[in-house]
Amino acid sequence: MPKPKVAFYWCASCGGCEEAIVDLNEDILKVVELVDIVFWPCAMDFKYDDVRKMKDNEITVAFINGAIRTDEQEEMANLLRKKAQIVVAFGSCSHLGGIPGLANFWDRETIFESSYGKGCPSVDNPDGIVPQTVSKVPEGELTLPAFHNTVKSLDQVIDVDYYIPGCAPPPYLTMKAIVAILSGELPEKGAILAPEKTLCDECSLNDSKPEKISIKEIKRISEVISDPEKCFLAEGVICMGPVTRSGCSEEGDGKCISANMPCRGCFGPPPEVKDVGGKMISALASIVGLEGEENMSEEDVEKLINQIVDPAGYFYRFSLPTSLLRRKRMSNPAKEDRYNG
Amino acid sequence: MQERIGVFVCKCGPNIGDKIDVDTIVNEVKNIDGVVTAKSHNLLCSNDGLEFLKEEIIKGNLSRVVVAACTPKMYEQKFMNTCEEAGLNPFLFHMTNIREQVAWVTPDKILATEKARKLCLAAINRMSFQEPIEKKEIDVQPDVLVVGGGVAGLEATLTLTAKGRKIILVEKDDSGKTETTESAQFRRVYLVEKSPCIGGVSARFEEVYQTMECAPCMLSPELQEVLQKENVETLTYSEVEEIVGSFGNFTVKIRRKARYVSEEACIGCNACFEPCPIEIPNQYDGGLSKRKAIYLPYAGALPNVPVIDRLNCLHLNGKECNACEQACAFGAINFEDEDRLIEKNVGAIILAVGSKLSDPTQFPQFGYGKYDNVLSAIQLERLNASNGPTGGKILLRNGQEPKSIAFIYCVGRKEKGYCSGICCMYMSALAHHVKEKLPDVKIYSFYTDLCLPKKEHQKIFEKVLAKGVEFIRSDGSEYVDYDGKKLIVKYKTESSVKSVLADMVILAPPVEPAKDIEKLAKLLDIPLDEHGFFSEEHILMKPFGAPLEGVFVVGTCQGPKDIGDSVAQGSASAGKILSRLMLGEKLELEPIVAEIDEEICCGCNTCIGLCPFSAIHRDVEKKVSVIDDTLCRGCGTCVAACPTGATKAKNFTMEQISAEIMEVAK
Amino acid sequence: MKDEKLAIVTFLCNWCSYEGADKAGNARLNCPSNIRIIRVMCSGRIEPQFVIQAFIDGASGVLILGCHPGDCHYKKGNYKAIRRISLLKKMLRQFGIEQDRVRLDWVSASEGERFAKVANEMAETIEQLGPLPELKILN
Repeated sequence: MPKPKVAFYWCASCGGCEEAIVDLNEDILKVVELVDIVFWPCAMDFKYDDVRKMKDNEITVAFINGAIRTDEQEEMANLLRKKAQIVVAFGSCSHLGGIPGLANFWDRETIFESSYGKGCPSVDNPDGIVPQTVSKVPEGELTLPAFHNTVKSLDQVIDVDYYIPGCAPPPYLTMKAIVAILSGELPEKGAILAPEKTLCDECSLNDSKPEKISIKEIKRISEVISDPEKCFLAEGVICMGPVTRSGCSEEGDGKCISANMPCRGCFGPPPEVKDVGGKMISALASIVGLEGEENMSEEDVEKLINQIVDPAGYFYRFSLPTSLLRRKRMSNPAKEDRYNG
Repeated sequence: MQERIGVFVCKCGPNIGDKIDVDTIVNEVKNIDGVVTAKSHNLLCSNDGLEFLKEEIIKGNLSRVVVAACTPKMYEQKFMNTCEEAGLNPFLFHMTNIREQVAWVTPDKILATEKARKLCLAAINRMSFQEPIEKKEIDVQPDVLVVGGGVAGLEATLTLTAKGRKIILVEKDDSGKTETTESAQFRRVYLVEKSPCIGGVSARFEEVYQTMECAPCMLSPELQEVLQKENVETLTYSEVEEIVGSFGNFTVKIRRKARYVSEEACIGCNACFEPCPIEIPNQYDGGLSKRKAIYLPYAGALPNVPVIDRLNCLHLNGKECNACEQACAFGAINFEDEDRLIEKNVGAIILAVGSKLSDPTQFPQFGYGKYDNVLSAIQLERLNASNGPTGGKILLRNGQEPKSIAFIYCVGRKEKGYCSGICCMYMSALAHHVKEKLPDVKIYSFYTDLCLPKKEHQKIFEKVLAKGVEFIRSDGSEYVDYDGKKLIVKYKTESSVKSVLADMVILAPPVEPAKDIEKLAKLLDIPLDEHGFFSEEHILMKPFGAPLEGVFVVGTCQGPKDIGDSVAQGSASAGKILSRLMLGEKLELEPIVAEIDEEICCGCNTCIGLCPFSAIHRDVEKKVSVIDDTLCRGCGTCVAACPTGATKAKNFTMEQISAEIMEVAK
Repeated sequence: MKDEKLAIVTFLCNWCSYEGADKAGNARLNCPSNIRIIRVMCSGRIEPQFVIQAFIDGASGVLILGCHPGDCHYKKGNYKAIRRISLLKKMLRQFGIEQDRVRLDWVSASEGERFAKVANEMAETIEQLGPLPELKILN
C-alpha cells in the first residue's frame, strides 16, 4: 500500500511553525517512515506545478500555517484544498489570523504609506514607488502577488478540517494530531486539537491566586520584576490565561508562564467565548479597581482604564481577523485604491 | 425536535390595537419556521384572554409561548401561571412589551408597527434557546441564632418562638390503610449574649423616654419569658466564634466562657459577693461604684447567676483565696470551670449586638476625665437611679448638691459625622428628672441642632422648657474650663464668645458601634458602613437585612436608634424569618440564578470577589468556582465577567440575549 | 419626520431603567422607534460581547441603562458596567467605531422623562453619526 501523502505550506507567518515541525526531533523520522512528504517548500525543493499536477484528494493531509495576506497565499490555499483530503490550519496565524492579522488595524493604503512613503525612516524612496502587481520592464512584464487589504485566517478563505493552535504549536500536539489522522481516529470536523479548558486550569500559579482579586494598578510586564510564584493577574499584569485554551506545554504548566511571562493568548479562546476581546474586557474591567469601586469618580475610572494602553492589540494579539469585528473600519475606505493592481 | 411556538399579540383594546397594525405582525410571524400558532386577542390579561391562552397552549400542543402585550411588570406572572396551568414550564414563555415601550411612545403607526414587529421577532428568535427552569427547594433548619440580648434581640427571640406548629402527617401503607400522626414542632432560638446578663443597655435606665417608665420594670416580663421558654436557649457570657453555611443552613460555633459558677447549682442568693476581698470600678455604673471579682453587673440582673471575673479573682491568678467558695452553701463555685465550644445549626441569624456611647475622653475640649464633675450622660443616669451609687441622689463628687448644671448635647457629632438621634431626648429626659429632684437647680442646655422627630418628642421638650431649662444654641465649639471652684463652659454663638459657670457638666457623647461588630462582620463577610455600624442591604427598602441572605442586622448595631425602633426591627426581622423559614416546610429558591459548568470553569477566581451576595466560593479540591444557589439572586454580573463562558445566567443566557440582539439590531 | 431606521440596541436593567421606560410610556412621552429594548436583570449582566455583536448585526448605536450608581438593585452591578463600557469604548475607537455610538447612563424607576430625554438624545447622536462605517473586507 502506498504511504499517505503529506504536504506542508506556509502563508503569512514568521517561519516558527516550520520550526515547530522540525522540533518534532526524532519523531519526525517516525513520521517520514509512515508518510511521503510531497510538498514542503520551506525544507525541500518542490514547485507549485508539482502540486497542480496532482490528482484531487491525492494528498492525505495538508498542514497550512500562516495567515492569508496575498493573492499567492490564497491561490495556494485553494489549490491545496483541492488536492488534499484533510486540511489542517497549523498554528495561530492560520487558525486565528495571528500576529500578521494585527495589520487589520490599518489597510493596504496606510501600510504601504508607512512602509514606502515619506514617513518611513528606513526607506529612501523619493519617487514614492510602491509595489505593483504588474510592472513593465524592457525585458517584459514582472508580477508580484497582490497585497490584500485585509488579513484573513485560513478558514476565511477555504474550508478547514482541523486546527492545531499555538504560536508555534507545541510538538506534542502536532504529533498527537498526526497520529490521530494517520490512524484514522479522526475527531469531529472543525475540532481544535487542544484542551477546551483555559490556561488557569493547569497553571502552576493558580493556587497563588487570592479568592477575591482586586487590581489596583495595571502594570506592563516590562515595568515589573515579576514574582515567579505569583499569578500575574493578581499582581496587576494582564495575562490572557483565563480566556485562552490550555495545552501549550506538554508538562501542563503553561509555556510562557514557566518562562515567567504572562500568557499572550496564542491558543485562542475556548468554545464558549464568542469574542476574546469582549470577554477579556468584561473579566478584566470587573476586577480592576473592584475594591472601593463605589467611591470612584469618573476621572478615577478613566485613569485606571487608561493604564490598559492598547486593549485591542493586547486582547487580539493573535486573533484580530477572527474577532467579531475582524478589522478596523477605515474612515474613508472609498478612496481609490491605487495599489490594487 | 422542532419547537412548536405560539405567538399571541394583545391589542389591549385600543391601547395597542389603534397604535400598531397587529394583524400585519400576526400574519408575518405565522410564516416563521417553528411558529405553529399566531393570534391576536383583544385583552389577553382578562379571564377570557387567559382561558383563551390556556386552551391554545393545550390545543396546539405548544412547547414555547410568546406574548406581546403590556409591560411584563404587570402581568408576566399571570401569564406564567397560565402556562403552568396548561402544563408548560413557565420559563418556556417570554413576554415582550409593545404597549408602554412601543404603542404609548410612538405616535406614528408605521414606525410603531415596525418596532413591535422587531420585538416580536426577537422574542420568537429567543425561543430556540429557552430552557425550562425547575423551582428548587431545599430542606431548611428553622432554628435561629440571635446574637445580643438587648431589647432588639429579646423582641426577635420572643416573636420567633411565640408559636409552634402542629404537623399532621398522613401516611398510607401498602395495604391502603392510612395512619395519621400528629406532632408539634417548635422553632428553637439560641440567644447568645456576651455579658453575664440579658437586657442590654436599656436595662440600665431608671426612666426612659418617651414614657418616663422604669426600663428594668418594663423589660422584666420579657426577660423572664425568654429565660423560662423551653425553646429558647439563652447562652449568656458567650461569644460567636465561627459561622459557616448559608441561608437555611448555617453552622455556628459558640464559645461559652467559663463562669466559674454553676448555673444549675447557683440559686442567686448573692451571698458570695460580700466576702470577696477584691473591689474594682463597676463599668455598669460608669465606674462610679465598685464591684467585687465575683459579681452581677447590677442587682436584679438576669439570669441571676454571678460570674467570676478571671482577670481580677485572686484564686484564678494563683493567690490563696476561696472566700466565695466558702460562702456558697450550694457548692456552686467551680474554679476548675473551662471555656467550652458548642455547635448549633440554624437557618437564619439575627445580629443585635447593640452599640455603646463613645468614651468622652476622645473629645478633650470638654475636660472629661480631667475635671471631677464633668460626667457622661450615662453616669448621670446612674446617679439618678435608685439602685445606683448614690441611691438616686444627684450629687457632686464632694457629696454636695449641684446648684447649676450644664448639659452639652451634640458632643463629638462633628468628629463622627453623624447625629446619634437619641441624645436630645435622653438629655431632655435627664434634665426633667434632675429638675424633679432638685427644683432649684439651674440647667443650661447647649445644643447645635435639636433632633425631635417623633410624635412624643416635642411634648417632652416643651415640658423641659416649661421647667425653666435654658436652651442655648451654639456652634458646637463648646469648651470646658475650671477656675478652681466652678466649671466654666465657654461657647460661641453667631456673634460672640460667651461663658457660663456650672457645678456640673453632663456630656452626651455619640452612639458608636460596639466592639464585636467588626469581628462578626469578618465572620460573616458582611460589610460595615463608613461609621463602623453594620451596613443594611438597602437603607429604605431593606433597612435591617444584611447584604447576606438570612442575616439581619437589627437595633443599634445597624445605626443609632431608640428603644422603640430597636424593638420594631427585632420584631420585623423575626417576621421576615417566620415568613420564609416555615416549620416543616422547604425553602423555595429564586429560580433565575447563575450556575457554573465545572467542566468549563478554569478556576481563575475572577467571579468570586464580584458577587455582592458572597454566593460564589472556590472549591479548593476541584479548583473551580461554585455558586451557592441559596444565596445567588441572579444579577448576572459574574456571568458577564466569566472569561471562559462557564457561567450561565438562567433565563438570560448568552444565546438568548444574542438571539434578541440579532433581530433588533437589523 | 425622521425615518428612524438606524437601530439602537438598548439594554435596560429590570429594576430601574426598564421601569423608567415604562413610565415614559405611561406618560405618553415620545421616544424614537429605533430605540429597541432588550431587558436584562442588571447592567452588570451586559457583556462587551453583546455590544460588539449588536454592531456587527447592524446596529448603529448601543444604549445601556442601569440604576444610578449607589442604587443598583444588586448593589454593585452598575459599577462593573462603568468600567467595562469605559474599556470597551476605548477599544472600539481602535476599531474605528466612534465612542459616542455606545452610551452608558442611568435612569431610575421613576424617571420616565429622563428615559425619554436620554433616548431622544441618543437617537439624535446616532442620526448625526449616521450608520456604522461599513466593514469592508477587500482583497
